[in-house]
Amino acid sequence: MTLLLKQIFAFFRMLNSETGTNQLAAGLAAGILLGFSPILSLQGILVILVCLFFRVQMGAAFLSAFFFKFVAFLFDPAMDQLGRMILETQSLRPIFTTLYNMPIVPLTRFNDSIVMGSGAFALLLVIPAFFLFKKGIIKYRATVVARYQQSKIWKAWSGTTVYKWYLKYQDLYG
Amino acid sequence: MTDQKTTPPSQPPGKAPKAKKKKGPIRTEVVLPFAIVILLTWAYFAFLFDGHLRKLFEYAGYEVIGAEVNVAKVETSFIKGTFRVQGIQVTNSERPTHNMFEIGDIRFGVLWDGLLRAKVVVEEMAVEKILIGTTRKSPGRVKPPEPEVVEDPNAPSELEKKANEVKDKALNKIEDKYEGNVLADLAQIAGGTSADAQLQNIEGSIESKKHLQALDATYKEKQKKWDDKIKALPKPKEIEDLGKRLSQVKTKDFKTPQEVEASIKAIDSIVKEADAKSKIVQSANSELSADLKQLDKEVKDLDALVKKDIADLEKRFKIPKLDAKSISRSIFMSYLQPYLIKFHHYKGVAIKYIPPNVMKKDKDEPDQVQPRPRAKGIVYEFGTPRGYPAVWIKKVAISSQAGADPQAGNVAGQITNITTNQALIGLPTIARISGDFPGMDVFKFVSMLTIDNTKALSKISYDFGVGSYGIAGKDLVTTPEVKIGFNKARGGLTSTGELVGLKDFSFKLNNQFSQVDYNIAAQNSKVDEVLKAIFAGIPAVTLDAWGGGVLPGISLNVNSNLGPEIARGFEKQVQKKIDEARKKIEAYVNEQVGKERARIEGEINKFKSQIDGEVKKVQAQLDKQKSDGEAKANLAKKDAENKAKKQVEDQLKKSLGGKGVDDLKKKLGL
Repeated sequence: MTLLLKQIFAFFRMLNSETGTNQLAAGLAAGILLGFSPILSLQGILVILVCLFFRVQMGAAFLSAFFFKFVAFLFDPAMDQLGRMILETQSLRPIFTTLYNMPIVPLTRFNDSIVMGSGAFALLLVIPAFFLFKKGIIKYRATVVARYQQSKIWKAWSGTTVYKWYLKYQDLYG
Repeated sequence: MTDQKTTPPSQPPGKAPKAKKKKGPIRTEVVLPFAIVILLTWAYFAFLFDGHLRKLFEYAGYEVIGAEVNVAKVETSFIKGTFRVQGIQVTNSERPTHNMFEIGDIRFGVLWDGLLRAKVVVEEMAVEKILIGTTRKSPGRVKPPEPEVVEDPNAPSELEKKANEVKDKALNKIEDKYEGNVLADLAQIAGGTSADAQLQNIEGSIESKKHLQALDATYKEKQKKWDDKIKALPKPKEIEDLGKRLSQVKTKDFKTPQEVEASIKAIDSIVKEADAKSKIVQSANSELSADLKQLDKEVKDLDALVKKDIADLEKRFKIPKLDAKSISRSIFMSYLQPYLIKFHHYKGVAIKYIPPNVMKKDKDEPDQVQPRPRAKGIVYEFGTPRGYPAVWIKKVAISSQAGADPQAGNVAGQITNITTNQALIGLPTIARISGDFPGMDVFKFVSMLTIDNTKALSKISYDFGVGSYGIAGKDLVTTPEVKIGFNKARGGLTSTGELVGLKDFSFKLNNQFSQVDYNIAAQNSKVDEVLKAIFAGIPAVTLDAWGGGVLPGISLNVNSNLGPEIARGFEKQVQKKIDEARKKIEAYVNEQVGKERARIEGEINKFKSQIDGEVKKVQAQLDKQKSDGEAKANLAKKDAENKAKKQVEDQLKKSLGGKGVDDLKKKLGL
């Protein structure tokens, strides 16, 4: 839990800093994949491992996954329909038969209509979403954060000893 | 696991920013924590998982079976894909000091080839060392019956209630149907119990007598009603008046058309009046028919009630039917009852735990306020003829050797193709188990179970038999009057059954008992003598049971060679007494009901003919007046027409002369 909270605080800190735009956008985009796929599936575990071993902002991924899980829940019937449509496409039948009888691949549970629908939808969404999130973060920093840093309250707060101590702590312990 | 250090929003003035080492895209610092997590997971599965799984089996077993389940050891290996359970003991809930059964070892390996495809494929599972009825080291816990809670949120779910209902229904059905014991009743009759004394005490409890009294009251009420109705019907004088008025109306020799019109109007008004009166009589007539029908029905009901009263009294005085079937049922139902109760108990458990999609249970679930469930997707199977279904246990080998343990069995058998998709592999699940349990005196036990879901309609069939088993001290009938049992016998049985579409069930059971040493005793010495003589001539007993129906309601029929033998044996002594008792009851009922019934029936018939006659008479009079009126009106009309015709002819004759009139007639075709 502490680890999770630390990641979420790190997300907000990074969002309000000037660095890690790609990490944040990648984290938020990975959250879409996590939100739309079952946790206990091969693709879910793979995304978590990617977030873990690559410098993807985990807090962003968790928050995004949390949010998109609700979205996925609401869109279940639509995803089911989409999944059925894909799985029942005759021209794709040989591919699915091969995949179904291959090792490893069935662990993705692609043959479930909701998993297939959600997965396909998330895959379509993830790349455009990465760029959209990136643009949104840059815009957020340029407008909201910059304006906030110019405010008198922030200037007064950043001049205090407590804040300097905080910066020192940040430097030492992260 | 934090990302690269964030740059603070602003640096304190006068300090140069510290140069930071740029980090690559791979998070190397996560390797150690990840390795620790993996190590902990491995440690859990290596040291704790088996123990937890063992406890889970014990808990689930206790909850489902309702008695303590012990598992000595569970061994799993993820690397090898193996699973082993040793020392499974299931407590007998009716005898907690003993186990229902014990299985020494169950082991199997799962193919990695299947696991990588998210399928569980077992090439061979071994089940060994099966023991039945072993003594436990300490008595096992038995789950107490759940307390009845009314309108409580923790009350059993609808499904549980339904399962219990099915069980209770079955038990009650058995108890109700076989509450009376025909054999004990026969003994009583043979012993000389008379129905005379008992007949004195039943005055006032005869249903047909009560019905007769009610019928009398109804009849009187109807009689009063119809007396009043008859008074309200048109009187003969009124009808005669109509006739008189009709006769006074002029129907010929009209001088003017106004006279004709006035006559027709007068006749019309009389006919209308007769018509209105006739309608009153008609409605009374139809009402009378309905009332008479009701009385007829009540008289017929009385016949049925008399028959029912006689049957009830025969039952009340325990007048048995001397037929082989009811004797067989009476003797063997108490023998079969414990097995039926067990069958219904496990059927209830099955209904409770079988997944909803198999039993289609959720249709009967009550509507409850609950969060929206997640939509259910469809799982497609893109199987190939050689592909794996989700679960496939290809073979379960069962073997056990009696050895030194007296409770152990020499069991051998195999179960093939336990799978979630029989259609994919195209093979049904077949279980064949055979063997002996020498310690329990059970030999040549053979069973075969086939579960076939390869076709649209599932079919489960079984074939079960025991070549020979020992019976010692088994009571068949235990009543104060008579006791019949086996001191010693050897039994053998075969049974076949079929369940189609998980609903339609049918079964057959043939049981033979040979080398029988009977235990016969009766309170009455005459009966004792008769019974002993009968059973001395029956060296072997057969018991045939068969039944079926749509679950959960199953009919059960029982037959045995004991039935006809006992019936024959008792016939001389008992049949005459039964007939006498039956006649007495019939005479008693007829005496109570007969006279009164004849009186009421006579009165009703008299009343019927009287009222019916009166109504019909009035109706006939009115009909006559109506038809007279109509005839008179026609006469008047015709007379007026003739007169008018003659007047025209006379006028023409005057103006054209005789020949002219004839010519005109010819031209007009008259």
